[in-house]
Amino acid sequence: MPVEDKNILNRLYIIAGGMFLFALLIAVKLIDIQFVDGDKYREMAHKNTTKNFVITANRGNVYADDGSLLATSVPKYDIRFDAVTVSSENFKENMVPLSQELGKMFGKPASYYQNVFRKARANKNRYLAVAKNLGYSEYIKVKSMPLFRLGPYKGGIIVEQRTVREHPIGKIAERMVGSESSQKPGYYAVGLEGAFNDYLHGKEGRRLKQKIAKGQWKPVYDDNEIEPQDGYDIVSTLNINIQDIAHHALLKQLEYYEAEHGTVIVMEVKTGEIKAVSNLGRTKDGTYYEKLNYAIGESHEPGSTFKVMAMMAALEDKVIDTSTVVDTKAGSKSFYGRRINDSHHGGYGKISAAKALEVSSNIGLATIIDEGYSKNPEKFINHLKDWGLDTPIGIPIKGEGKPMIPEPGHSKWSRNALPSMAYGYNLSLTPLQTLTFYNAVANDGVMVKPLFIKEIKSWNREVEHFDTEVMNDKIASEETINEIREILKNIVKRGTGKSLYSENFSMAGKTGTAQTEYWMKDWASNRRYVSSFAGYFPAENPKYSCIVVIHKPSIKKGFYGADVSGPVFKRIAQKIFTDSPLVAEVANLDASDKRIETDFESYYPKAQKKYTLMPNLQGMAGMDAVSLLENLGLKVKTQGIGSVSQQSIKSGENIKKGTQIVLKLS
Amino acid sequence: MAVGKSNVRFDWLTIFFYLALVGIGWINIYSASLSDSAQGLFDFSQIYARQLLFIILSIVLIIFLLAIDAKFYERFASIIYIISLVSLLGLFVFGNNINGATSWYSFGAFGLQPSEFAKAATALALSKYVSDMQTNMKEFKYQIRTFLIIALPALFIIPQPDPGSALIYAAFVFPLYREGLHFVYLLLGFFAAALFVSTLAFGFPWVAGGVVLIAIFIYLKRRKKRPNLVKYITIAIASIAFAFSVNYIFNNVFEQRHRDRFNIVLGKETDTKGIGYNTNQSEIAIGNGGWLGKGWTQGTQTKGNFVPEQHTDYIFSTVGEEWGFLGSLLVIALFVALIVRVLVLAERQKNQFSRVYGYSVAAIIFVHFFVNVGMVTGLFPTVGIPLPFFSYGGSGLWGFTILLFIFIRLDASNFVHS
Repeated sequence: MPVEDKNILNRLYIIAGGMFLFALLIAVKLIDIQFVDGDKYREMAHKNTTKNFVITANRGNVYADDGSLLATSVPKYDIRFDAVTVSSENFKENMVPLSQELGKMFGKPASYYQNVFRKARANKNRYLAVAKNLGYSEYIKVKSMPLFRLGPYKGGIIVEQRTVREHPIGKIAERMVGSESSQKPGYYAVGLEGAFNDYLHGKEGRRLKQKIAKGQWKPVYDDNEIEPQDGYDIVSTLNINIQDIAHHALLKQLEYYEAEHGTVIVMEVKTGEIKAVSNLGRTKDGTYYEKLNYAIGESHEPGSTFKVMAMMAALEDKVIDTSTVVDTKAGSKSFYGRRINDSHHGGYGKISAAKALEVSSNIGLATIIDEGYSKNPEKFINHLKDWGLDTPIGIPIKGEGKPMIPEPGHSKWSRNALPSMAYGYNLSLTPLQTLTFYNAVANDGVMVKPLFIKEIKSWNREVEHFDTEVMNDKIASEETINEIREILKNIVKRGTGKSLYSENFSMAGKTGTAQTEYWMKDWASNRRYVSSFAGYFPAENPKYSCIVVIHKPSIKKGFYGADVSGPVFKRIAQKIFTDSPLVAEVANLDASDKRIETDFESYYPKAQKKYTLMPNLQGMAGMDAVSLLENLGLKVKTQGIGSVSQQSIKSGENIKKGTQIVLKLS
Repeated sequence: MAVGKSNVRFDWLTIFFYLALVGIGWINIYSASLSDSAQGLFDFSQIYARQLLFIILSIVLIIFLLAIDAKFYERFASIIYIISLVSLLGLFVFGNNINGATSWYSFGAFGLQPSEFAKAATALALSKYVSDMQTNMKEFKYQIRTFLIIALPALFIIPQPDPGSALIYAAFVFPLYREGLHFVYLLLGFFAAALFVSTLAFGFPWVAGGVVLIAIFIYLKRRKKRPNLVKYITIAIASIAFAFSVNYIFNNVFEQRHRDRFNIVLGKETDTKGIGYNTNQSEIAIGNGGWLGKGWTQGTQTKGNFVPEQHTDYIFSTVGEEWGFLGSLLVIALFVALIVRVLVLAERQKNQFSRVYGYSVAAIIFVHFFVNVGMVTGLFPTVGIPLPFFSYGGSGLWGFTILLFIFIRLDASNFVHS
């Protein structure tokens, strides 16, 4: 097939030339990539291969007042299995012994694990979950089992480590302590964990690493770019013993009354330290768990526990005195066309103001307040404002409920507002607010702010110390306070709380039984109440104040504050004092344990100044007397049980610190 | 045995280019596949070690190829071609699916990819047919038959699916051109490609309008020579019809992933889905190299395993990163030198069979090289074909070795006859 020579040469040149052009095109493209856009690509390459790794800081611990752990971070391990990487020889040889050991450890039959492994191998599962949430020692054990001990490549073991927040005391006080968000790992919003997150969290560190090979990163420099800073520890005021008592006392009562939810707060009178907070809500199947922080978050109509505030205002303004006679009629009285009833059938008739509070007469209190303040309601409202009841307390924990106190001009204000408020309706408060007020009564009129945190520590170094804050140094005159305290004592002795009375130890407080959701249509057929009890113990020289609020108990079983909430209060008071060396080992108090001494330190000097002479203890509850005398620095010996019948140092004598006094109780 | 006889002269320059490319290729595979768990040069769990084995086996293969009498290749070309076609068809029954393509026969741990050997077989068959005294490339009858020889293996390869390997068969247009195929076919091919790309880039209406305008312009310019108006209208309508069919095929026959690849290269689509990830990472690696590169085994992108398939199709990105612009240029120069050398040798062949075969070898290596490097540098859409002599893989290396060394053997016998 002849082709002309010149033509052939042309064709060769065209082909070679075409190829050369293409080669040139590639060279041009290379220049473009390596020089024209070179900086851009080199920048991208740098970004590709180096990465700042975040080194998470260790989160601080949360401690109880005595140093026991409430929350801490621990590593947890998940074990998974790559069923593909293992050789069939190793698989055959080790699968049975591995299944046996796993079965032994996790209490499942070995055949179960054999099945799971065989199936995973058949399905080429490279990520089979074997065990989750193992502690370190368990992890070490699993890691050394047959097959797994061959390591990740030959043995197929995949280990994933996480840091988990643990609560050594369990679910108790979970709401108060706070917990990690279930939706957002590493995020803490509630409770102390949330409130002091900035302290606990610490600061993340950073380390620059370079990718060297498949999935492996090598640090670029020897040191971290930013060293991580571990979070601070916080020492809370919570006391695990009291917390435990409060939790179980509340739980028992909620279960018995099938109530919807309830809360207990225990506060130390002198310091305002919150010793226990329990918040239990009901699940659908009738069990209870730390659901929401009702104690600080739920603002509701307090009912009769508010009568104490109303009465104090009236006594302070001398609108009445304790012996002023109030006509409570026959249990029903109309105020501006609205009927107010007393729960006592037939009413109380004409009684003293003190008695009205003792028996918790709605009519009595409504009459007192309406008569005293209807012309000048602001005067009454101003007292409530003075006591800080119209604004949130301002604690560091998130989600504090907003109280509501109406005043003239407010949408909730009417002529009926005042009489309603007198017995705790048409206004709302959080349990913590009510308790703060009662605590002030117990604390001789000094209103202290609830304290949740004692100090913030970094190892053993104190970073910040939190002292008791006084919100109002005198909520009322000493006379008024004493009168109120007398009435509160009598409520337990002979008033609405008399079912709670015990000769062996004393307490003071006010019951409350408030209707709730009464504005709903079905209320008549399905009555709902909030039962509460607020008070303090011992009645003399109170050490702790406490409030118990239980929402919607089953009314078939009862709903009165004294029946539903009172027993929780009593059990807590009783337990604290039977557990405490104060009563059990009175003789050894001198060599007593440090904790109690420090507890008393704060108010000891005050007590010292007040009493230089021996008081008359006749008839005083033994427990009260002991606590009083101990506060005066005396050694106390008791004989018998009950209230004081004889005292070895007569009343009126000078007190010398350290002398022994013998009390005969009967 | 021909080897050792003083009247047989192998072209050592071509052999040197071959050895240089294979050697440099292995050095780069070593770098791209080096991992911490490697235990020495002969740890056959490692990719570079296996490639070393393939290279050693290639040497054995070369000795066989050169030992066989040159006449054998011409005489048995048709049979080799038929065996090759059967092996391609056999894939539909016995083939093993690897990475989504049924392109492999499995023999235990090893696999063979018949499409890599079909190129050499097709080149042999084509050379034999074209060099037949009867065949006249200027006649349509022979053109069609020639076209069938080329198209058959391609048609068997496309459904594997491996359109990239099938594309390579377009390379045979070069030897055919050399042997007298009218320039129009070549031109037609370029014109079709230009229309294809511009239709995708600018859209059908613009291209149709452009074709009409150009046709009118040329017609008016040549009016004095009284050109045939019907011819112009026919060409214009055919072009527009082609552009329309491209538009139609692109939107209705192509799959989305193909459309994405084209659109990203044409700059019509910003790559947000990571479809151009391979190319982008490969460009980063090459750009990272700069003038002299990062040095052997020092490329951060190569070490970090950012470029997928870096030891196979994307091996050139390792050259770009670790050896820089100069290293890349050297590799390109080696390829160009090899291709030019083969062309020169082909031209000096005394029998047509050897010449056509030589051109085929040059054309196949060239298209492979250009399409592959074009893809790695982002000039082309992603077409998965290896870089000859460079990319990891036994079948590919042996396929090219056979292709090249048959020619070296043919060339050597050229002197025997003289």
